[in-house]
Amino acid sequence: MNELIDKLKQELIEVLNLEEVQPADIDNNAPLFGDDGLGLDSIDALELIVLLEKNYGIKLNDPKEGREIFKNMTTMAEYVSQHRTK
Amino acid sequence: MGIYIQSAAQISIQKPLTDEWLQQPIEHTQHHVRAIEPNFRDYLEAGESRRMGRIQKRALATALSALQQAQLDMPEAIITGTGLGCVESTERFLQAMVRSGEDFLQPTHFMQSTHNTIGSQIAVKLGCHGYNNTHVQDGVSFESALLDALVNFETGRIRSALVTANDELTPDYFALLGQLNYWKQEPITRQTLFNAQTPGAFAGEVSVAFVLQNSRNELSLCQIYALELLHRPSPEQLASCLSLMLSDNNLTLSDIDAVMIGKSGDRDNDAIYAQHAHLWGGRPMAWYKHLFGESFSASGLGLYAAIKCLQHKCLPSHMTLNGASISNPNCILMYNHFMNREHSLILLSTC
Repeated sequence: MNELIDKLKQELIEVLNLEEVQPADIDNNAPLFGDDGLGLDSIDALELIVLLEKNYGIKLNDPKEGREIFKNMTTMAEYVSQHRTK
Repeated sequence: MGIYIQSAAQISIQKPLTDEWLQQPIEHTQHHVRAIEPNFRDYLEAGESRRMGRIQKRALATALSALQQAQLDMPEAIITGTGLGCVESTERFLQAMVRSGEDFLQPTHFMQSTHNTIGSQIAVKLGCHGYNNTHVQDGVSFESALLDALVNFETGRIRSALVTANDELTPDYFALLGQLNYWKQEPITRQTLFNAQTPGAFAGEVSVAFVLQNSRNELSLCQIYALELLHRPSPEQLASCLSLMLSDNNLTLSDIDAVMIGKSGDRDNDAIYAQHAHLWGGRPMAWYKHLFGESFSASGLGLYAAIKCLQHKCLPSHMTLNGASISNPNCILMYNHFMNREHSLILLSTC
Protein backbone atom coordinates (compact mmCIF):
# COMPACT_ATOMS: atom_id res chain seq x y z
CA MET A 1 0.00 0.00 0.00
CA ASN A 2 2.80 2.42 0.87
CA GLU A 3 4.31 1.94 -2.55
CA LEU A 4 0.98 2.81 -4.19
CA ILE A 5 0.55 5.86 -1.94
CA ASP A 6 3.98 7.14 -2.97
CA LYS A 7 3.17 6.59 -6.63
CA LEU A 8 -0.16 8.39 -6.27
CA LYS A 9 1.54 11.31 -4.53
CA GLN A 10 3.99 11.67 -7.41
CA GLU A 11 1.17 11.56 -9.94
CA LEU A 12 -0.94 14.01 -7.97
CA ILE A 13 1.93 16.51 -7.72
CA GLU A 14 2.59 16.23 -11.43
CA VAL A 15 -0.99 16.44 -12.67
CA LEU A 16 -1.92 19.30 -10.33
CA ASN A 17 1.38 21.12 -10.96
CA LEU A 18 2.13 21.46 -7.25
CA GLU A 19 5.64 22.75 -7.92
CA GLU A 20 6.59 23.47 -4.33
CA VAL A 21 5.21 20.28 -2.80
CA GLN A 22 7.31 17.14 -2.24
CA PRO A 23 5.71 13.70 -1.73
CA ALA A 24 7.02 13.72 1.84
CA ASP A 25 5.10 16.95 2.51
CA ILE A 26 1.76 15.20 1.99
CA ASP A 27 0.52 13.49 5.14
CA ASN A 28 -1.18 10.21 4.24
CA ASN A 29 -4.14 10.99 6.49
CA ALA A 30 -4.42 14.76 6.07
CA PRO A 31 -7.39 16.08 4.06
CA LEU A 32 -6.64 16.77 0.41
CA PHE A 33 -9.41 19.33 0.07
CA GLY A 34 -10.28 22.35 2.20
CA ASP A 35 -8.12 24.74 4.17
CA ASP A 36 -6.77 22.21 6.66
CA GLY A 37 -4.81 20.03 4.25
CA LEU A 38 -3.42 20.36 0.79
CA GLY A 39 -6.09 22.92 -0.15
CA LEU A 40 -7.27 21.32 -3.37
CA ASP A 41 -10.50 22.49 -5.00
CA SER A 42 -13.20 21.29 -7.40
CA ILE A 43 -11.05 21.69 -10.51
CA ASP A 44 -8.39 19.53 -8.87
CA ALA A 45 -11.08 16.95 -8.20
CA LEU A 46 -11.81 16.83 -11.93
CA GLU A 47 -8.11 16.30 -12.63
CA LEU A 48 -7.99 13.47 -10.09
CA ILE A 49 -11.03 11.77 -11.65
CA VAL A 50 -9.24 11.91 -15.03
CA LEU A 51 -6.06 10.58 -13.40
CA LEU A 52 -7.83 7.54 -11.93
CA GLU A 53 -9.44 6.71 -15.24
CA LYS A 54 -6.34 7.26 -17.33
CA ASN A 55 -3.76 5.56 -15.11
CA TYR A 56 -5.83 2.92 -13.30
CA GLY A 57 -8.86 2.31 -15.50
CA ILE A 58 -11.26 3.46 -12.77
CA LYS A 59 -14.31 5.32 -14.04
CA LEU A 60 -16.21 7.28 -11.40
CA ASN A 61 -19.81 7.58 -12.55
CA ASP A 62 -21.09 9.26 -9.41
CA PRO A 63 -19.11 12.43 -8.56
CA LYS A 64 -20.36 12.13 -4.96
CA GLU A 65 -18.15 9.05 -4.60
CA GLY A 66 -15.18 11.35 -4.94
CA ARG A 67 -15.79 12.93 -1.55
CA GLU A 68 -14.91 9.71 0.22
CA ILE A 69 -12.30 8.47 -2.24
CA PHE A 70 -10.34 11.71 -2.28
CA LYS A 71 -10.60 12.33 1.46
CA ASN A 72 -6.87 11.71 1.89
CA MET A 73 -4.04 9.73 0.30
CA THR A 74 -4.83 6.58 2.28
CA THR A 75 -8.50 6.46 1.20
CA MET A 76 -7.49 7.18 -2.36
CA ALA A 77 -4.88 4.39 -2.40
CA GLU A 78 -7.32 1.92 -0.82
CA TYR A 79 -9.94 2.67 -3.45
CA VAL A 80 -7.41 2.38 -6.27
CA SER A 81 -6.04 -0.94 -5.03
CA GLN A 82 -9.57 -2.39 -4.79
CA HIS A 83 -10.95 -1.11 -8.10
CA ARG A 84 -8.05 -0.74 -10.51
CA THR A 85 -8.32 -2.51 -13.84
CA LYS A 86 -4.81 -1.67 -15.02
CA MET B 1 -10.67 65.26 -22.96
CA GLY B 2 -7.16 63.84 -23.08
CA ILE B 3 -6.24 60.20 -22.70
CA TYR B 4 -2.92 59.65 -21.00
CA ILE B 5 -0.62 56.67 -20.75
CA GLN B 6 0.54 56.36 -17.18
CA SER B 7 2.78 53.32 -17.44
CA ALA B 8 3.99 50.59 -19.75
CA ALA B 9 5.63 47.23 -19.00
CA GLN B 10 6.90 44.45 -21.25
CA ILE B 11 8.00 40.84 -21.29
CA SER B 12 9.55 40.03 -24.63
CA ILE B 13 12.76 38.79 -26.14
CA GLN B 14 14.48 41.78 -24.56
CA LYS B 15 15.30 41.87 -20.84
CA PRO B 16 11.91 41.78 -19.12
CA LEU B 17 10.25 44.53 -17.13
CA THR B 18 13.06 47.03 -17.69
CA ASP B 19 13.94 49.71 -20.24
CA GLU B 20 17.50 48.44 -20.62
CA TRP B 21 16.90 47.57 -24.29
CA LEU B 22 16.96 51.29 -25.06
CA GLN B 23 20.67 51.49 -24.19
CA GLN B 24 21.73 47.87 -24.50
CA PRO B 25 19.45 45.88 -26.77
CA ILE B 26 19.96 42.14 -26.94
CA GLU B 27 20.71 41.12 -30.52
CA HIS B 28 19.25 37.72 -31.31
CA THR B 29 20.51 35.59 -34.17
CA GLN B 30 18.11 32.64 -33.91
CA HIS B 31 14.92 32.46 -35.92
CA HIS B 32 12.76 31.54 -32.94
CA VAL B 33 13.40 33.10 -29.57
CA ARG B 34 11.12 32.58 -26.59
CA ALA B 35 10.45 35.49 -24.28
CA ILE B 36 12.90 36.11 -21.45
CA GLU B 37 10.88 35.60 -18.31
CA PRO B 38 11.26 37.35 -14.98
CA ASN B 39 10.96 35.55 -11.66
CA PHE B 40 7.20 35.12 -11.53
CA ARG B 41 7.36 34.48 -7.78
CA ASP B 42 7.84 38.24 -7.40
CA TYR B 43 4.27 38.62 -8.65
CA LEU B 44 2.48 35.35 -7.99
CA GLU B 45 2.29 32.79 -5.22
CA ALA B 46 3.05 29.21 -6.24
CA GLY B 47 -0.56 28.24 -5.55
CA GLU B 48 -1.85 31.06 -7.76
CA SER B 49 0.30 30.26 -10.71
CA ARG B 50 0.08 26.46 -10.76
CA ARG B 51 -2.91 26.47 -13.13
CA MET B 52 -1.53 29.17 -15.38
CA GLY B 53 0.25 28.73 -18.65
CA ARG B 54 3.25 30.89 -19.52
CA ILE B 55 1.23 33.51 -21.36
CA GLN B 56 -1.02 34.04 -18.36
CA LYS B 57 1.91 34.41 -15.97
CA ARG B 58 3.57 36.87 -18.32
CA ALA B 59 0.34 38.84 -18.74
CA LEU B 60 -0.13 39.02 -14.99
CA ALA B 61 3.46 40.11 -14.37
CA THR B 62 3.29 42.91 -16.94
CA ALA B 63 -0.18 43.97 -15.76
CA LEU B 64 0.86 44.10 -12.11
CA SER B 65 4.08 45.91 -12.98
CA ALA B 66 2.20 48.51 -15.06
CA LEU B 67 -0.38 49.04 -12.31
CA GLN B 68 2.36 49.41 -9.72
CA GLN B 69 4.20 51.99 -11.83
CA ALA B 70 0.95 53.90 -12.35
CA GLN B 71 0.14 53.67 -8.63
CA LEU B 72 -3.29 52.34 -9.51
CA ASP B 73 -4.82 49.49 -7.52
CA MET B 74 -7.95 48.88 -9.56
CA PRO B 75 -8.50 49.80 -13.21
CA GLU B 76 -12.08 50.37 -14.32
CA ALA B 77 -11.55 48.21 -17.40
CA ILE B 78 -9.27 45.38 -18.49
CA ILE B 79 -8.98 45.10 -22.25
CA THR B 80 -6.79 42.51 -23.93
CA GLY B 81 -5.61 42.00 -27.48
CA THR B 82 -4.25 38.64 -28.60
CA GLY B 83 -3.87 37.05 -31.99
CA LEU B 84 -3.38 33.46 -30.94
CA GLY B 85 -4.47 33.38 -27.30
CA CYS B 86 -3.28 30.57 -25.06
CA VAL B 87 -1.73 28.35 -27.72
CA GLU B 88 0.45 26.36 -25.36
CA SER B 89 -2.49 25.21 -23.23
CA THR B 90 -4.49 24.45 -26.36
CA GLU B 91 -1.69 22.30 -27.71
CA ARG B 92 -1.29 20.49 -24.39
CA PHE B 93 -4.89 19.38 -24.03
CA LEU B 94 -5.18 18.52 -27.73
CA GLN B 95 -1.97 16.49 -27.66
CA ALA B 96 -3.14 14.68 -24.51
CA MET B 97 -6.43 13.87 -26.24
CA VAL B 98 -4.63 12.50 -29.28
CA ARG B 99 -2.33 10.39 -27.09
CA SER B 100 -5.26 8.93 -25.17
CA GLY B 101 -7.35 8.18 -28.25
CA GLU B 102 -9.67 11.11 -27.47
CA ASP B 103 -10.78 9.44 -24.24
CA PHE B 104 -9.50 12.03 -21.76
CA LEU B 105 -9.77 15.78 -21.59
CA GLN B 106 -7.41 17.58 -19.20
CA PRO B 107 -9.69 20.08 -17.45
CA THR B 108 -7.03 22.62 -16.47
CA HIS B 109 -5.43 22.98 -19.88
CA PHE B 110 -8.84 22.99 -21.55
CA MET B 111 -9.95 25.83 -19.27
CA GLN B 112 -6.79 27.79 -19.95
CA SER B 113 -6.99 27.39 -23.69
CA THR B 114 -9.52 30.11 -24.41
CA HIS B 115 -8.33 33.51 -25.56
CA ASN B 116 -10.16 35.43 -22.86
CA THR B 117 -8.51 33.48 -20.03
CA ILE B 118 -5.74 36.06 -20.06
CA GLY B 119 -7.95 39.04 -19.24
CA SER B 120 -9.98 36.91 -16.85
CA GLN B 121 -6.92 35.86 -14.85
CA ILE B 122 -5.89 39.49 -14.46
CA ALA B 123 -9.40 40.37 -13.27
CA VAL B 124 -9.47 37.45 -10.81
CA LYS B 125 -6.08 38.42 -9.41
CA LEU B 126 -7.13 42.05 -8.96
CA GLY B 127 -10.71 41.31 -7.94
CA CYS B 128 -11.77 43.63 -10.76
CA HIS B 129 -15.46 43.46 -11.68
CA GLY B 130 -15.26 46.20 -14.30
CA TYR B 131 -15.49 46.01 -18.09
CA ASN B 132 -13.44 43.10 -19.40
CA ASN B 133 -13.04 42.38 -23.06
CA THR B 134 -10.68 40.47 -25.33
CA HIS B 135 -10.04 41.30 -28.98
CA VAL B 136 -8.83 38.61 -31.35
CA GLN B 137 -8.17 40.26 -34.70
CA ASP B 138 -4.99 38.79 -36.13
CA GLY B 139 -2.31 41.45 -36.40
CA VAL B 140 -4.55 44.31 -35.23
CA SER B 141 -5.74 42.64 -32.04
CA PHE B 142 -3.84 45.14 -29.93
CA GLU B 143 -5.04 48.15 -31.88
CA SER B 144 -8.61 46.85 -31.55
CA ALA B 145 -8.19 46.56 -27.78
CA LEU B 146 -6.75 50.06 -27.61
CA LEU B 147 -9.58 51.42 -29.74
CA ASP B 148 -12.08 49.76 -27.40
CA ALA B 149 -10.44 51.55 -24.46
CA LEU B 150 -10.47 54.91 -26.24
CA VAL B 151 -14.16 54.55 -27.13
CA ASN B 152 -14.96 53.72 -23.51
CA PHE B 153 -13.04 56.79 -22.36
CA GLU B 154 -14.65 59.05 -24.92
CA THR B 155 -18.14 57.92 -24.02
CA GLY B 156 -17.45 58.53 -20.34
CA ARG B 157 -17.87 54.91 -19.27
CA ILE B 158 -14.44 54.60 -17.68
CA ARG B 159 -11.76 56.81 -16.16
CA SER B 160 -8.94 54.26 -16.18
CA ALA B 161 -8.07 51.13 -18.12
CA LEU B 162 -5.49 48.41 -18.23
CA VAL B 163 -4.83 47.58 -21.89
CA THR B 164 -2.66 44.58 -22.66
CA ALA B 165 -1.35 42.65 -25.66
CA ASN B 166 -0.20 39.06 -25.34
CA ASP B 167 0.99 36.44 -27.77
CA GLU B 168 3.09 33.34 -27.31
CA LEU B 169 4.68 31.29 -30.04
CA THR B 170 5.24 27.61 -29.36
CA PRO B 171 7.74 25.52 -31.35
CA ASP B 172 4.87 23.72 -33.12
CA TYR B 173 3.14 26.95 -34.09
CA PHE B 174 6.47 28.40 -35.19
CA ALA B 175 6.95 25.38 -37.46
CA LEU B 176 3.44 25.69 -38.89
CA LEU B 177 3.82 29.39 -39.65
CA GLY B 178 7.26 28.63 -41.08
CA GLN B 179 5.60 26.52 -43.76
CA LEU B 180 3.79 29.70 -44.80
CA ASN B 181 7.10 31.57 -45.11
CA TYR B 182 6.50 33.63 -41.98
CA TRP B 183 10.10 33.30 -40.84
CA LYS B 184 13.50 33.95 -42.39
CA GLN B 185 15.56 30.97 -43.47
CA GLU B 186 18.95 32.69 -43.54
CA PRO B 187 20.87 33.79 -40.41
CA ILE B 188 19.27 36.71 -38.60
CA THR B 189 21.25 39.92 -38.38
CA ARG B 190 20.13 43.51 -38.16
CA GLN B 191 21.39 43.92 -41.73
CA THR B 192 19.44 41.00 -43.20
CA LEU B 193 16.32 42.32 -41.52
CA PHE B 194 17.03 45.89 -42.59
CA ASN B 195 17.61 44.99 -46.23
CA ALA B 196 14.48 42.84 -46.39
CA GLN B 197 15.36 41.07 -49.62
CA THR B 198 13.78 37.74 -48.72
CA PRO B 199 10.45 36.62 -47.28
CA GLY B 200 10.00 36.11 -43.56
CA ALA B 201 10.77 37.93 -40.34
CA PHE B 202 12.07 36.53 -37.07
CA ALA B 203 9.74 35.53 -34.32
CA GLY B 204 9.21 37.12 -30.95
CA GLU B 205 6.77 36.75 -28.09
CA VAL B 206 4.85 39.58 -26.49
CA SER B 207 3.32 40.50 -23.21
CA VAL B 208 2.85 44.20 -22.80
CA ALA B 209 0.59 46.21 -20.51
CA PHE B 210 -0.39 49.86 -20.35
CA VAL B 211 -2.33 51.86 -17.82
CA LEU B 212 -4.43 54.61 -19.38
CA GLN B 213 -6.47 57.27 -17.67
CA ASN B 214 -8.43 60.35 -18.61
CA SER B 215 -6.66 62.81 -16.36
CA ARG B 216 -3.09 63.96 -16.44
CA ASN B 217 -0.84 63.87 -13.41
CA GLU B 218 2.88 63.83 -12.61
CA LEU B 219 3.11 60.16 -13.62
CA SER B 220 1.69 60.66 -17.11
CA LEU B 221 4.19 59.51 -19.74
CA CYS B 222 2.43 60.74 -22.85
CA GLN B 223 -0.92 61.47 -24.43
CA ILE B 224 -2.67 59.48 -27.12
CA TYR B 225 -3.94 62.00 -29.63
CA ALA B 226 -5.53 59.60 -32.06
CA LEU B 227 -5.87 56.03 -33.24
CA GLU B 228 -7.22 55.12 -36.65
CA LEU B 229 -7.80 51.64 -38.04
CA LEU B 230 -8.32 51.26 -41.78
CA HIS B 231 -9.28 48.19 -43.77
CA ARG B 232 -7.48 47.87 -47.11
CA PRO B 233 -7.03 51.62 -47.55
CA SER B 234 -5.89 53.10 -50.84
CA PRO B 235 -2.83 55.40 -50.63
CA GLU B 236 -5.24 58.33 -51.00
CA GLN B 237 -7.40 57.14 -48.10
CA LEU B 238 -4.34 56.68 -45.93
CA ALA B 239 -3.09 60.16 -46.82
CA SER B 240 -6.50 61.66 -46.15
CA CYS B 241 -6.74 59.91 -42.78
CA LEU B 242 -3.31 61.16 -41.78
CA SER B 243 -4.13 64.68 -42.87
CA LEU B 244 -7.36 64.67 -40.86
CA MET B 245 -5.62 63.17 -37.84
CA LEU B 246 -3.01 65.92 -37.87
CA SER B 247 -5.43 68.79 -38.48
CA ASP B 248 -7.77 67.56 -35.73
CA ASN B 249 -4.88 67.93 -33.33
CA ASN B 250 -3.59 71.23 -34.76
CA LEU B 251 -0.43 69.55 -35.99
CA THR B 252 1.44 69.38 -39.26
CA LEU B 253 3.86 66.76 -40.52
CA SER B 254 6.76 68.92 -39.38
CA ASP B 255 5.59 68.49 -35.77
CA ILE B 256 6.21 64.75 -35.97
CA ASP B 257 9.66 63.86 -34.70
CA ALA B 258 9.59 60.27 -35.90
CA VAL B 259 7.37 57.84 -37.75
CA MET B 260 7.67 54.40 -36.17
CA ILE B 261 6.79 51.68 -38.64
CA GLY B 262 6.26 47.93 -38.41
CA LYS B 263 9.12 47.07 -40.76
CA SER B 264 10.06 43.48 -39.94
CA GLY B 265 12.61 42.35 -42.50
CA ASP B 266 9.98 40.49 -44.51
CA ARG B 267 10.30 41.55 -48.14
CA ASP B 268 6.57 41.66 -48.85
CA ASN B 269 5.64 43.28 -45.54
CA ASP B 270 8.29 45.98 -45.86
CA ALA B 271 7.41 46.78 -49.45
CA ILE B 272 4.13 48.26 -48.18
CA TYR B 273 6.01 50.60 -45.87
CA ALA B 274 8.26 51.64 -48.73
CA GLN B 275 5.21 52.24 -50.91
CA HIS B 276 3.78 54.68 -48.35
CA ALA B 277 7.03 56.33 -47.30
CA HIS B 278 6.19 59.50 -49.23
CA LEU B 279 3.26 60.15 -46.89
CA TRP B 280 5.55 61.08 -44.02
CA GLY B 281 7.05 64.12 -45.77
CA GLY B 282 10.63 63.05 -45.16
CA ARG B 283 10.22 62.87 -41.39
CA PRO B 284 12.74 60.53 -39.69
CA MET B 285 11.62 56.92 -39.56
CA ALA B 286 12.18 54.28 -36.90
CA TRP B 287 11.47 50.58 -36.43
CA TYR B 288 11.22 48.18 -33.51
CA LYS B 289 10.67 44.64 -34.82
CA HIS B 290 14.41 44.02 -35.21
CA LEU B 291 14.52 44.31 -31.40
CA PHE B 292 11.30 42.57 -30.42
CA GLY B 293 10.56 40.23 -33.32
CA GLU B 294 7.36 39.66 -35.22
CA SER B 295 4.12 38.39 -33.74
CA PHE B 296 0.42 39.11 -33.94
CA SER B 297 0.77 41.54 -31.03
CA ALA B 298 4.07 43.11 -32.08
CA SER B 299 2.43 46.51 -32.53
CA GLY B 300 1.84 46.54 -28.76
CA LEU B 301 5.58 46.49 -28.30
CA GLY B 302 5.83 49.21 -30.95
CA LEU B 303 3.63 51.44 -28.81
CA TYR B 304 5.63 50.48 -25.74
CA ALA B 305 8.88 51.40 -27.52
CA ALA B 306 7.48 54.75 -28.68
CA ILE B 307 6.28 55.59 -25.16
CA LYS B 308 9.69 54.78 -23.68
CA CYS B 309 11.43 56.95 -26.28
CA LEU B 310 9.16 59.86 -25.33
CA GLN B 311 9.65 59.17 -21.61
CA HIS B 312 13.45 58.99 -21.84
CA LYS B 313 13.58 61.86 -24.35
CA CYS B 314 15.66 59.91 -26.84
CA LEU B 315 15.04 57.75 -29.85
CA PRO B 316 18.30 55.78 -30.03
CA SER B 317 20.26 55.35 -33.24
CA HIS B 318 19.69 51.58 -33.27
CA MET B 319 16.01 52.25 -33.87
CA THR B 320 16.14 54.85 -36.64
CA LEU B 321 16.34 53.86 -40.27
CA ASN B 322 19.01 56.47 -41.03
CA GLY B 323 21.09 55.50 -37.98
CA ALA B 324 20.96 58.94 -36.32
CA SER B 325 19.50 59.26 -32.86
CA ILE B 326 16.75 61.76 -32.18
CA SER B 327 16.95 63.69 -28.95
CA ASN B 328 13.94 65.12 -27.19
CA PRO B 329 11.24 63.64 -29.39
CA ASN B 330 7.86 65.13 -28.56
CA CYS B 331 5.59 63.59 -31.09
CA ILE B 332 5.69 60.09 -32.61
CA LEU B 333 3.41 58.71 -35.28
CA MET B 334 3.08 54.92 -35.42
CA TYR B 335 2.13 53.22 -38.64
CA ASN B 336 1.56 49.47 -38.84
CA HIS B 337 -0.14 47.18 -41.26
CA PHE B 338 -1.03 43.51 -41.14
CA MET B 339 -0.64 41.72 -44.46
CA ASN B 340 -1.63 44.93 -46.20
CA ARG B 341 -5.19 44.37 -45.00
CA GLU B 342 -5.53 46.21 -41.72
CA HIS B 343 -3.60 49.44 -41.32
CA SER B 344 -3.28 51.49 -38.16
CA LEU B 345 -2.08 54.97 -37.28
CA ILE B 346 -1.44 56.02 -33.67
CA LEU B 347 -0.41 59.54 -32.77
CA LEU B 348 1.40 60.08 -29.46
CA SER B 349 2.79 63.16 -27.85
CA THR B 350 4.52 64.14 -24.66
CA CYS B 351 2.32 65.94 -22.16
